[in-house]
This record gives sequence, structure tokens and C-alpha cells, in this order.
Amino acid sequence: MPPGLDKLQHIVVLMMENRSFDHMLGSLKAVNPNIDGVTPNLSNPDTNGSPVPAQALAEFQAQLQPDPDHHFPAVDLQIFGGDTSPNRKPNMQGFVKSYFNQQRDLNHSQKIMYYFAQKDLPVLTTLALEFAVFNRWFASIPGPTICNRAFAHYGTSFGRVDMNLIYINEPFKSIYDRLIGATPKHTSKLYYYDTASSTMEITNLLEHQPELFGTFPQFLDDCAKGNLPDYAFIEPNFNDHDTDSGEEVANDQHPDHNVQAGELFMAKIYNAIKTSPLWPNTALLIVYDEHGGIYDHVVPPACKPDQFTASANDTGTGMPFAFDRLGVRVPAILVSPWIPKGTVVDRVFDHASIPATVTNFFLGDYSPRSPREINADVFIEPNAGPVDAARNLLSLSTMRTDCPDFDV
Amino acid sequence: MVAIQVPRPPKSAFNPNRPVSALLKAQVEYLHEAERRLPLRYRSETYINAIKTEGEASEYIREVTEAIHNAHAEAAAARVRVVPKRRAVIEIAAVADERAERKRASTAKKRRPRKTTGESGRKK
Repeated sequence: MPPGLDKLQHIVVLMMENRSFDHMLGSLKAVNPNIDGVTPNLSNPDTNGSPVPAQALAEFQAQLQPDPDHHFPAVDLQIFGGDTSPNRKPNMQGFVKSYFNQQRDLNHSQKIMYYFAQKDLPVLTTLALEFAVFNRWFASIPGPTICNRAFAHYGTSFGRVDMNLIYINEPFKSIYDRLIGATPKHTSKLYYYDTASSTMEITNLLEHQPELFGTFPQFLDDCAKGNLPDYAFIEPNFNDHDTDSGEEVANDQHPDHNVQAGELFMAKIYNAIKTSPLWPNTALLIVYDEHGGIYDHVVPPACKPDQFTASANDTGTGMPFAFDRLGVRVPAILVSPWIPKGTVVDRVFDHASIPATVTNFFLGDYSPRSPREINADVFIEPNAGPVDAARNLLSLSTMRTDCPDFDV
Repeated sequence: MVAIQVPRPPKSAFNPNRPVSALLKAQVEYLHEAERRLPLRYRSETYINAIKTEGEASEYIREVTEAIHNAHAEAAAARVRVVPKRRAVIEIAAVADERAERKRASTAKKRRPRKTTGESGRKK
């Protein structure tokens, strides 16, 4: 058993908001050609048919206003360029047209093609270059936040493609319920930022099992004391609000929240784990829930259908959706001192990979699970049985001592 | 290794008066559904359709989240208080049984004839 896997006891997942891979990590193509980022030939037509190139002109705040549309019909336009024919092919040529629909401003619509220069995102780009970056991590569905986050918690969105309330019925339990209900029992916790931010997605769990939840200060304390649960999910601060100890700036990076605030948040989480006695035993996945309507050039692949179908009415496109195509690509990075510097992963993942990985690692064989989760790839190999060396990302024989530090 | 500097966002990044986004509106809706299942004493007096800013949304989110935690904490505390009361009932019943037994023993003792004490010289 490779020592990185043998020692692994804790998996931590941080899910940020609404930014595409090219938008956040596209600049890294110039640093590491293996990273499938932005090249000079990438463009989208505007409403006059003129090509609009991808440019490193993204700003931290106040640029993407209004919030780019990322609901199912808009994402359909972004992926298929407006083609609604039965045998259509995805071409990723509809982003500028989609953003134009929101304000009817030709110049403003071009900003959807902007991406960040490497220097502007010191935390995310450093982690991507130092650890493992995923070239092919996609949102689970071509739609909004709530459905995509559901895949991270349940391995499915139960047939939903919209933002309406998800009424969770069996048969698929959340990853948290699976762990705490197992024999022997495992531990899991969802850390929201504070009660004013709370959990975005799973109020049903909050209602019935509030003991599953903690706050970000508790996460920091748990890291320091070596008390992390087996599995931890971190939610960022979703809104600007005042507290007794001062102003709390939203750090989820959802437009139009400040992107630097999210960088600071990620640095704090990384530092907390790196300085924890559990650093040798922990893997941190940083991932975004969906692309937020922002440009990416990689065509989302088809996938095994889920057992649910969204009706033509529900999708808003006049066409049903069988959950047989992934959403747009998002940034995803795996951090561990056992991962070689500069690792680039080309296998296909989506958010169903999260419960798939955590379940396989801690529980082994488990059912029932959604078809999407059963067929999702895992980003950490199970620590039982022979390990496929070609797939194992925690592959170093000795722990790194050259991991970066962030000054926050 | 030299630590990498992480710039802080400017003061202007903070704007609790920012119009509430569709995402936050959805979150408010979910928590409103949860609030409806809380006992009356835990419910807010907020009309969620009047929430227009992030700051207002955050206040409502805080209130309902803390109310859910408090309702569970109160229920857990009540569960602990109930158990000693049941023990007291059992104890009371046991004490009552003991009293009845002592009474029976006392009554039986009174009915038995007194013994004489000839050696002491006391009259019978």
C-alpha cells in the first residue's frame, strides 16, 4: 500500500461558487502545457457574428454585472451555440450570445470571455501548479448551483435541474448519513461559515440532524487540535454581513462577490490543514459547483444517464434531459503532501465523484447509490485491495517538505 | 520557502446592501420552509418577500439557523429532565411499600402477648 494512501484518514472538500476552469486556471496553459487552458485561438461569436477572443482581463469585482445566467436554458445556449436541432453537436460557442441576452449590450457581453491572469490568483494557481489539477472535472449537470451541489452530497439531484426546493426521499442517502450510519461508525461534518451564511443546500439535514453541522471557526479549531472528522465538507460565506466581531465579506466568489476574498478563504483552509498534526493524513479537494455562465472551451462529455429524467417543461428548453451529459468544466484541485508537484489529471470527473470517492474509501461496497454515482470515477483510490499505481494520485514514497505557505 | 503574499480585498468589497441574488433568495426559501415546521415560539417575524438585500437575507438566515439549533437543544435538554421524574415515582412507590410493610409488622407485634420478666422482679 502506498504510504500516502495508507496514512490517509481525512478527506476535506471545499466547494466554491460559479467560476469556470478557463476563467480561473486558463492562464496556466502558458506555465504548464499539460494544463488544458486558454490558447490564442479561442473565441466566441458575438451577436453580429464577430469573434470575441478569450483575454486575461478579468477583474475581482463589479465586472460581471448582471450575474451571468447559469440556469438550464442559458447553459444549453452556451454549450450548443443556439442549435436546437435533434442531432446537434456541442460547440461551446454560445457564451457571448447568452450574456448579451441579459443586457443587450454588445461591449459588455464580451466580458464573459475574460479570464484571470495568473498573478491575480496566487492561491488557486499556486495550488494547481504544486499539487494535482484536474483537466476534466465538470459540473454534474448543465445548470445551476442547487442541483450541482446535490450531486456532491447525494450523488444525484433527484431529477431536478432548477433551483426549487429539493424534497429528499429515499433511496439515496447523503454521504453524511452513510458514514454516521455505518458499522463501524464513521464521522462526518459539514462546516458552514457561520449561522448568518448557514448551509446553502441541505436544510433538510440541518432540520433533522443539526449535530452534523459546525462553523468555520470550529473547522480551524478541529484542524489545530487534530479533531477533524473522517469526511468534512466546507461551505464558504455566501453573503456580506455584519457580526459582533466585524464585517464578514462573502468569500464564495459567486459574481459579484470579490474574488480576492475567496482566495484569502482558500489560503486559510490550506494553512489550517498544513499546520495541523493531521497534514500527513489529510487530502483537500477544492472544487467549484458550476461555471456560473462564464466561458470555457472544453465540450462537456456525455455520461451514463441517471435514473431520473427532467421533463421538457422542467428544463425550459422544450427538450427533456436524461442527465446523460455533464455540465461545463470547473476548477478542481487535490492537495496532499503525498502528491507530486505538477500533477495533471486527464480522467473525467463530476461532483458525483465526491460521494463515490468518500464512500468507496471509508465504506467499501455500499448500496444503494444512483447510477451516476456508481459510474463516477474516484479521485482517491480505495485503501483496500491492490492499488492501481497509474490511478493513485497520492503516489510519493516520502512526504513532501517543499509545500508552499501562504501569508494571510 | 518564502510565504506567498495573499492580498486582502478592499473595504469597498463589503456591501450588505447589495441586492439579494437568486441563489440567496432560494436559500431564504428553503429556510422558510424549515421555519414553518418549527414551534411558534421559535419563528421569526420576518416577511421573506420583503428581503431585498444581502444583509437582510443574512439576518433571516441567522435567525432560522439558530432557531433550529435551539429547538433541538431544548428537546435534548427536556429528554434528560424526564428520566429523573420517572425514577422519583418508582422511589415513591418503593417507599410506600416499605411503610406498609413496617405498619404490618408493627400491628402484628402489638397483637402478640407480652412476655413476663420474673428475674427482674417486676410485677406481671
